[in-house]
Amino acid sequence: MKKYLLLMLSVITILLIAACSGGSDEEEASGGNGGENEQSSEETGGSDDGGGDDADQEQITLRMSWWGSQSRHDMTNEIIALYEEQNPHIKIQTEFTGFDGYFEKMAAQAAGNNLPDIMQQNFGEYVNLYASQDLLTDLSPFVEDGTIDLDGVSDTIVDAGKVGGTLVGIPTGTNALVATYDSAAFEDAGIDAPTHDWTWEDYERIAREYHEETGKYGARLNEPGNMFEYYLREKGYALFNEDGTGLGYDDDQLLVDYLSMTKGLIDDGVMPGYDVIQLIKGLEDELIVRGETPLDLTNWSNQVGALENAAGTPIEMVVLPGENNDRGMFLKPSMLWSIGKNSEHKEEAAKFINFFTNTVEVFEIIGSDRGVPIKPEVREALEPNLSDIDQKVYDYVNYVSENSSPADTNFPPSASEVFKALEDTDELVMYGELTPEEGAEQFRMNAERILAK
Amino acid sequence: MGLREPEVQNQMQKNKNLPPTKKFNRKRVGREFENGMGYMFISPFIIGTVMLTLFPIVYSLYLSFTNFNLVGEADWIGLSNYQEMFTSDPMFKQALEVTFLYAGAGVPLRLVFALLIALALNKVVEAAGLYRTFLYLPSIVGGSVGVAIMWRQLFGNDGALNSVLASMGLPTHSWLGDPDTAIWTLVVLYIWQFGSSMLIFLAGLRNIPKTYYEASSVDGAHKIQQFFKITLPLLTPVILFNLVMQTIQGFMAFTPSFIITAGGPMNSTLLYILYMYRNAFQFFDMGYASALAWFMLLIIAVFTALIFKSSDRWVHYDDN
Repeated sequence: MKKYLLLMLSVITILLIAACSGGSDEEEASGGNGGENEQSSEETGGSDDGGGDDADQEQITLRMSWWGSQSRHDMTNEIIALYEEQNPHIKIQTEFTGFDGYFEKMAAQAAGNNLPDIMQQNFGEYVNLYASQDLLTDLSPFVEDGTIDLDGVSDTIVDAGKVGGTLVGIPTGTNALVATYDSAAFEDAGIDAPTHDWTWEDYERIAREYHEETGKYGARLNEPGNMFEYYLREKGYALFNEDGTGLGYDDDQLLVDYLSMTKGLIDDGVMPGYDVIQLIKGLEDELIVRGETPLDLTNWSNQVGALENAAGTPIEMVVLPGENNDRGMFLKPSMLWSIGKNSEHKEEAAKFINFFTNTVEVFEIIGSDRGVPIKPEVREALEPNLSDIDQKVYDYVNYVSENSSPADTNFPPSASEVFKALEDTDELVMYGELTPEEGAEQFRMNAERILAK
Repeated sequence: MGLREPEVQNQMQKNKNLPPTKKFNRKRVGREFENGMGYMFISPFIIGTVMLTLFPIVYSLYLSFTNFNLVGEADWIGLSNYQEMFTSDPMFKQALEVTFLYAGAGVPLRLVFALLIALALNKVVEAAGLYRTFLYLPSIVGGSVGVAIMWRQLFGNDGALNSVLASMGLPTHSWLGDPDTAIWTLVVLYIWQFGSSMLIFLAGLRNIPKTYYEASSVDGAHKIQQFFKITLPLLTPVILFNLVMQTIQGFMAFTPSFIITAGGPMNSTLLYILYMYRNAFQFFDMGYASALAWFMLLIIAVFTALIFKSSDRWVHYDDN
């Protein structure tokens, strides 16, 4: 009796083990079709039968990922619901997080050849890295055959989605760096607010005057990544050289000047140091929101809406300072929509991107949160009903589009490490551990070491 | 034994080739069957360990000799990663220094603290379980993100600590913003999570026979003498265990510097594992991160070995 029991148990165990290992084999083999294994096997079954004649009846699940704030999650889910309603055969499975952790998660999926069908990408070093690894689908066929309609979109905007000549991302909207200021605070202090034609001297002067008048900070600490890049552009240089193998400027005096300016403002108490900045928890906690400074040069235009909401007081926008700020300023895709190379439903994913780019309702829901729409018709259709803040953002981006030069796209894959090195240097100088001269020298050394890898 | 027996049996079989074989055989089959069954039952564990632990470990060793960036092909680059670590990466040195300071200060302090609390608890008779639970709680939630966020609030510029200082008329300080103090807030957090060491100490203390204390007090020893001559020597095996476990944990700390300070200010809290994480998931340099991981393994191995080696001199076992 006991023996039979043992025998039976062992048979069951064998079956279980066989089932387990079989399952894992299958999973490895089909690692490419995404998280929903059951779904996809159903689909492949369906397409075999259908012989591809009527795609409308076939149920398709697309995976889509993005990063953002809670309000963006809510709005995007609303848009997806709208799309699913109009296209009952499509089901969109969403994956969303904050920006922190998003690219860590995507990197793991990329390593498993398991990227989502529709993926929100970031302009600059991120999209360049993904493109350099051949992980993203070339979207130009879809644009050529009209699946993604980009008629009337300016070339500079479309080009921003290209890496090495291949179109790998469709901009979700356009964006620009912006100097945000609290107009009421300047009025109360009796100081003239900045204008589009302000210089670096004006910037320092305004910040100092406000500080002397009120005792509060005259401006928020700048973040070196965006700011120094802009500073270089304004002076006619770039952060990276053309092929991304080295720094784009030879004279370290540029960084010395930049660091000295910030250091001087911090030493005089006009600007908070890193000890204050590093405790800021998200946009809602920013100094300009809390009324501790009237001037903040670290935002992007699509964040101004959230900033004004949080501050509860009008936030105005001007371009960043400098005599040549029309050369320094640039329009940037706020984000890009990309299609994973491993996607099995590239066509359907492209249709969704087209929907997102060309549908007025989409932008009625999302406002300027993913930037100003790239299609002129959509912009025009929205114009009459814009909220005040969206109107301001539209006007601002419009101004920048006429007073800017094309964005740099030559970010090497190791750019994020270089930006980190720049931040480290900035911090060391601001804490007084290094002089600006030493900092500039150290940054060049570190950057060249990273880029040489 | 298991190897030799079948051989002997085989020979016996060859020599005799006679009736007893039947019974004999059945026994053999039975044993093999039982062994097979045994392996089968532990196979889920073995498969899991090989696939989810052993394979990744070996694979990461391989990766440490490549330039794998998580998404592309891994090209063999020999010892370049290790070479870079030791010759040209200033952050590597920084991370090592921070980690040694953190573990070097945190581990002994946590052990002393845990021992003190255990000594106090050992005296408590009523509701001992309740106290134990409360004191152990910080360690249960210890590695968690929640505690780290709370720590941020406590030591922030407008945090609880500064509020208390201000209300007493003392000068406040930017604890997390000052590179000299930020690492110490993390060390304090590490010390505060003393629970598991404390429980082990407590168990060790309970194991010391009361008779020793009685005998020594008859001989006129006072409390302090008793502590140093009886308690501490008899506790050394437990101290050894705690020291090894805590050293390993101390070197591998990640969450506090990730959440509370993000390695800043000025990388003064850049723990080694955080730097490794950055290389892996922010700079996408998996090969380099793997090399860092293997170097950390080496450090921990060396320290553990040193501790064990030194233990001959200071650990007293009861039974000798």
